Amino acid sequence: MTNDPTVNDKESRRAGWRLMWSATRPETGWLVTGVVAGLVWTGAKLVVPLLAARAVDDGIRRGESGTVVRLVVAMLVVGLVQAVGTGLRRYAAFHIALRAETDLRQRLFTRLQSLHFSFHDQSQTGQLMARANTDIQQINTALVLIPLTVASFITLAGVAVIMVLKSPLLALLALGTLPFLSLAATRFSRRLAPVNLALQEELADVSEVAEETVAGVRVVKGFGAEARQVRRLTAEADAVLDRALDAARLRARFLPLVDFLPTLAMVAILWYGGHLVLDGRLEVGDILAFNLYVLMLIWPLRMAGMLVAQASRASASGGRIHEVLATEPRIADRAGAAALPPGRGTLAFEGVRFGYGPGPAVLNGLDLRIRGGEAVALVGATGCGKTTVARLVPRFYDVEGGRVTLDGVDVRDLRLSELRRAVGIVFEDTFLFSGTVRENIAFADPDAPVDDVRRAARLAGAAEFVEALPDGYGTMIGEHGYSFSGGQRQRIAIARAVLADPRVLILDDATSAVDPTKEHEIRSALREVMAGRTTLIIAHRPATVALADRVVLIDGGRVAAEGTHEELLVTSPRYRAVLAAAELEALLRTAGDDAGEVDGGEDAGGVTAARSGEGGPG
Amino acid sequence: MTPAAADERLSRADASPVVRRLASMLRDRRGELALATAVVVGQTLCLLAGPWLVKRGVDAGLIGDDPRALNVAAVLYLVSAVLGLLFGRWAIWLVNRVGERFLRDLRVRAFRHVLDLGMDFYEREPTGRLVSRLTSDVDIMEQLVSQGLVMFVQNALLLVGAVVAVFAMSWPLALCTLVIVPPVVWVTRWFQRASGRAYVAVRERIGETLTTLQEGLEGVRVVQAFNRQGGFISKFRRTNEAQYEANLEAVRISVRYFPVIELAGVVGIAVIVGMGAYFVDRGTITVGVVLAFVLYLNNLFEPIQQLGQLYNTVQQSGAGLHKILVLLDTPCSVPERPDGVELPRRGDLEVSGVSFGYGDGVTPDTDGVVHPAGPDVLSGVDLTVAAGERLALVGPTGAGKSTLAKLLVRFYDPRRGRVSFGGVDLRDARTSSLRDRIVVVPQEGFLFAGTIRDNIALGRPDADAAAVEAAVDRLGLAGLFEGFPAGLDTEVRERGSRLSAGEKQLVSLARAALADPAVLVLDEATSNLDPGTEQRLEEALDHLTEGRTVVVVAHRLTTAARCDRIAVVDGGRLAELGSHADLVARGGHYARLWRAWDSTAPTGGTAADLP
Repeated sequence: MTNDPTVNDKESRRAGWRLMWSATRPETGWLVTGVVAGLVWTGAKLVVPLLAARAVDDGIRRGESGTVVRLVVAMLVVGLVQAVGTGLRRYAAFHIALRAETDLRQRLFTRLQSLHFSFHDQSQTGQLMARANTDIQQINTALVLIPLTVASFITLAGVAVIMVLKSPLLALLALGTLPFLSLAATRFSRRLAPVNLALQEELADVSEVAEETVAGVRVVKGFGAEARQVRRLTAEADAVLDRALDAARLRARFLPLVDFLPTLAMVAILWYGGHLVLDGRLEVGDILAFNLYVLMLIWPLRMAGMLVAQASRASASGGRIHEVLATEPRIADRAGAAALPPGRGTLAFEGVRFGYGPGPAVLNGLDLRIRGGEAVALVGATGCGKTTVARLVPRFYDVEGGRVTLDGVDVRDLRLSELRRAVGIVFEDTFLFSGTVRENIAFADPDAPVDDVRRAARLAGAAEFVEALPDGYGTMIGEHGYSFSGGQRQRIAIARAVLADPRVLILDDATSAVDPTKEHEIRSALREVMAGRTTLIIAHRPATVALADRVVLIDGGRVAAEGTHEELLVTSPRYRAVLAAAELEALLRTAGDDAGEVDGGEDAGGVTAARSGEGGPG
Repeated sequence: MTPAAADERLSRADASPVVRRLASMLRDRRGELALATAVVVGQTLCLLAGPWLVKRGVDAGLIGDDPRALNVAAVLYLVSAVLGLLFGRWAIWLVNRVGERFLRDLRVRAFRHVLDLGMDFYEREPTGRLVSRLTSDVDIMEQLVSQGLVMFVQNALLLVGAVVAVFAMSWPLALCTLVIVPPVVWVTRWFQRASGRAYVAVRERIGETLTTLQEGLEGVRVVQAFNRQGGFISKFRRTNEAQYEANLEAVRISVRYFPVIELAGVVGIAVIVGMGAYFVDRGTITVGVVLAFVLYLNNLFEPIQQLGQLYNTVQQSGAGLHKILVLLDTPCSVPERPDGVELPRRGDLEVSGVSFGYGDGVTPDTDGVVHPAGPDVLSGVDLTVAAGERLALVGPTGAGKSTLAKLLVRFYDPRRGRVSFGGVDLRDARTSSLRDRIVVVPQEGFLFAGTIRDNIALGRPDADAAAVEAAVDRLGLAGLFEGFPAGLDTEVRERGSRLSAGEKQLVSLARAALADPAVLVLDEATSNLDPGTEQRLEEALDHLTEGRTVVVVAHRLTTAARCDRIAVVDGGRLAELGSHADLVARGGHYARLWRAWDSTAPTGGTAADLP
């Protein structure tokens, strides 16, 4: 690793190019087809003006009608070849680019799904989305542009050769102005970009004024502030006008050149070429052919500059994608990872040390044994590491020192799939997927029979409210679906963990959003789930903690005290303090974000009781 | 090549009125438009002169063996090219300027009109739709003006000009050549439609892929915990491949179109050369005409393709304009009379025989849908609030108490009866005078972009710094705002996300204090505040209401109990009216509620619990 950003950038771009190349490799067949079709297309395009010139000179001027017919037929044939060529060339280019885009996106997603928690802890969803969307789009665009640009340069070279063979000076006059078209086009897009950006910003400001005025219209009208808002909008609209006129000035300066520069070439062809004809060194048909060549080159030259800019963007994008693809999952099966032996779910933490990234150690020599079938509550102040303890069991993270064993085997020596199958976890912040309730509960095993789903829901205290819905377990969750309350979502998440029937169950603050008056119902159900199953409970509420056979107080990254809830209440002042603080915190949290749930009656429905207020025709 | 969904297009029936209206809106800009048109015509003529001069050069110069004629043609060609360049620059500038100015005025005009409309309009229109009328529907026209309008006009003129030119040179050859135009037009239209549809599908597929991607990323921890990576990867593969297929379908459409266009170009040259040879042989045309025709062919094909591409943008702009015109045609339900009068400084607020319901069953919304008139929400309400009196409106949700409050500030006009202040019917008052006298403070403190000071000065933009500070002082809030980074000049970001709900309400009270109205209509906040802020709010309210007529829509019985009189609204009628003590003694709705609340709920009952 070097610290020089330019070297890094270069290295990353090079990796980007390699990635693009590797992405097109599987399509060698189409690549060859595309190249051949492109060459045929270019050749056919170059031939048409020559045929037209011959027809004018041999056919029309010398009156050989047979020659004209032959040449017209030849043009039609060449035209057909050109058409087939352009179709194939296009299809090949887009096919390769789209295939590369799709495959890269798939590789990216697959890699992201297998990357360790700490990678995701450090990345932002939005940025990863941009890799899979904008960055890959840039690569697609470049891949489409590259063959087109190559074909354009071959066309240009071909035209130059044909013209030079006829008359080097005329070739210079005819083609001399055209490079300025590329230059102007590049300059124009470079200068237009910031102006357009500024225009977009001003448009966003107009939207902001419009939005806030409409949203706050009662206030605006209530205070008679209409004129003030109109003044503000007028100011923004004026700013939009100014920026739009800036852009118009740039367009006015550049766009007419697109017609002008080729016309200059055509004037030169008429004048100098005309004199060559008068001198007998050129024929009238050549004038026509030269004109057609100039017209042919306008678009390729306008676009020539685009590739340079696009290639730069695409290689940078490729570099960023490569960075993700080159990240190896840190948590993966070891060579020779073992199957999970049968057992009751005995857990042992032996001298476990762990810290997140370069931060301070969170766990500092933690020793803890949990017998198979035992329920243990982990209690401690916020940030003490109790959640971390839970996360080491299914190897969301690996220990830095010491080891964690499940039924006597170091979790790092187990097959990851079997380990995770054996450990069920309910996260603190519930994440449900779009889909039906049934699909969410049966997440671990999509083929689970409906009776298992019902049972899991019942054990999690979710059956009652789910079955009361018109669509029951078929109710859709998600953006356009039913919106469950926080407590209801947590219970679905518990059902999801219960359905997997894990050897070890971890409840990480899993009932925090459940209305306290409902919690006792879940508690009795949870007892049934926990019977004979190793369970780790991380909780704040004493009632939930009391579900455990044993309570472990974690402090300073170690086990500070253990015993039953009652014992600790008596013996440990620290335990009492932590519990009191936690309770207060939980209380504030419930009051803060679930006020509606408490007073509306949680099961009354997640669809926020239509509080349309009075009035309004609805 | 933006695809247009059905409602983004202008229907044939709407098109001609839209064009007529556009023409009348542009009447003020006749001069500018005429100049712009003249310049575009000039530029087009310069472009069209090229092939004609080539013909002259070839026929007179080369065939006629006359170097002078060749030189003249070349010089004229050069002159026309330079003129074309100058006209071109000027045309773009003129067309953009007239277009952008028109849009600027349209933005302001639409916004002003919307703000003039009554609250019924805002109840009818979904916020999102209304905002998009004011923004994206104009923005789409912006795209046309900036990128397409000049091209559209130029290409249309060029197409017509080229057709005229070829006919003028040789109508028989022109007829032969133009045979290929209809198929090109036809296939171009097919392409526009097919690719439009294909891109709509692509957009949908992209949306699905992104949704799956986002879910896979946000839920990655759960996915891994339950070992479901495989399932998610294959789910992603399905949407990803569907996106690929949709994209490829769009490619297949273009792969059918572009070869046809290229072939048509070659066929055109072949026809001109072939038929040209025949006509030259018969002596009806010259060789130069054949050359000119081949060059004009370019002026036929390019415009057809360009117009095809612009077609969608023009359609969408037309649809956008149509929607804005509908908006501008929406009448105001609470119009200001031209001879509106000033309201007296003080007076009784009087509601007599008022009946009201939402909607008139006549005015369509901006989508052209007429909603049926709602039933009466209030019927036969009589109520007089004396100057300086505090009146609480209580009643269950839907009883009509908020509606009554809205009538007091003329957000709506009653269907029957009248609301007056100091004896003047609110409908006869000047709107500005009405807003000076009667101010409504809504439930939620709504903040606008800008500083806290700007927000307080909302109703009095001309108020100086001292006046704002005095208003803040009067409510005892000076200390509160000093705690902000820049005091009163602190920017509130994103609608005040920096401020707590309570602080926002305090700003909105300060706003009312600065406005200094005779009558305050308050909608009591229902949200829970922390005890400190609650206390502050109560005190500020006490200061604010001092010496004013106050009508409060009460949600808490304690608030109601503190008022001089309480009006119980139930089922759209005034059920009970009197002081707290009176009503409790009378043993009606209010008394029942009060007793229930008093015995069971020490922390606060809500007036909405009324039977």
